[in-house]
Amino acid sequence: MTQRSFDERDIHLALDGELSPEDMAAYEAWLETRADMRALSARYVSDRALLRDTLATLAREEVPQRLQEGAHSASRKTKGARHMPLRRLAVAAVMLVAAGAAAGFWAGQQGFGGGETLAALDVVGEAVAAHQVYAAEKLHVVEVGASERSHLVGWLSNRVGTRLVAPDLQAEGFDLMGGRLLPSGGKAAAQFMYEDPSGERVSLYVAHCVKGETTGFRLFEDEGGRAFYWQEEGFAYTVAGAISEKRLLEIANVTYRQLLAGR
Amino acid sequence: MDGKKKAIVGEIPGLRRYARALLRDADAADDLVQDCLERAFSRLDNWQTGTSPRRWLFTLMHNLFVDGVRARKRRSELVSGAAVDMRASVSAPEQNGMLDLRDVLDALQEISPERRAAILLVGVEGMSYAEAADVLDIPTGTLMSRVARGRQDLRDILDLARRRRILKAVE
Repeated sequence: MTQRSFDERDIHLALDGELSPEDMAAYEAWLETRADMRALSARYVSDRALLRDTLATLAREEVPQRLQEGAHSASRKTKGARHMPLRRLAVAAVMLVAAGAAAGFWAGQQGFGGGETLAALDVVGEAVAAHQVYAAEKLHVVEVGASERSHLVGWLSNRVGTRLVAPDLQAEGFDLMGGRLLPSGGKAAAQFMYEDPSGERVSLYVAHCVKGETTGFRLFEDEGGRAFYWQEEGFAYTVAGAISEKRLLEIANVTYRQLLAGR
Repeated sequence: MDGKKKAIVGEIPGLRRYARALLRDADAADDLVQDCLERAFSRLDNWQTGTSPRRWLFTLMHNLFVDGVRARKRRSELVSGAAVDMRASVSAPEQNGMLDLRDVLDALQEISPERRAAILLVGVEGMSYAEAADVLDIPTGTLMSRVARGRQDLRDILDLARRRRILKAVE
């Protein structure tokens, strides 16, 4: 296979789900070698999250009466129609976009069944990076808040393709803030974020990984990021946070038990 | 007919978000949505049941946006002079570098309308390049470069806005 070369343009294509699974894998490898491009990519991801999160409040507003009335009065004066341009018709017939796709990174397992699956250790690296990016956010930590817990869990389970549980960590002093959908290799990953009263944050990250032997907890440490992870049935589970090893392990234990019980 | 209408009404929240992000002014945005709905209901037969009305509606609205951009601009200047509607703004406490809905809407206004529409349709409304290019009636390659340039613009504008925020907090 001829390797195509990548440049800054591909950051946008990758972000918008416009790379083929093969190109996506090669792109990821390229990105791995380019710290500047990784930073740029992370920046665009966070800008997009800011846009989505702030504008999401607009879509949740109640629709003003005049618009509803406008719809009624207009429907009364409905008249015969011109024809839709053929090109549009053809495209419309092919494309079916659920409103939910507004949340869309490249489409989890449904859209890209053959998407690249990462090794467990790579997934953990992503999990720690995702924790550092989003735990540092003040206003836009999550995409869907804890107030919509059941929707959040259902949606992420659906997109990631396994039955997820948002663990209850209240006994450990952490409250669920919410979660978000993230890209991982060519597939979808889920992140649940928690916060304690002092503002410390921990996250659970679940993503596909290459099926290996089921493992116990392993510790991952990297430049201030710390995580415990385990893998099971083609999924890697990572609990990340900048808290003591002992406390993080307790949380990982509780999370593991609850995920097991929820299945 | 009733099913079609319901499907269209279901798209109103997304249309309002897009209109508001395009125009910033809440009343001007709702005027645009209302015009779009009126046009949609008068051309209902153009939309085939079984397909999502979403792209069709966004296309109608975008054409109205382009047609009326000057007239609406005059009107929105008057409106925003009288009272700025910020009901929906996140009541964020003043913190260094933190941006709220108003900042984001302001930042979007500083981007050219073409690039603004491109990053909103792809980044916020979740459309593919092919869909967004179809809505905007431009080649995919053009859309691609508008997305890339729009994101660069947004990054620079947000950096400036954050810096201004920090300066304000320091004063």
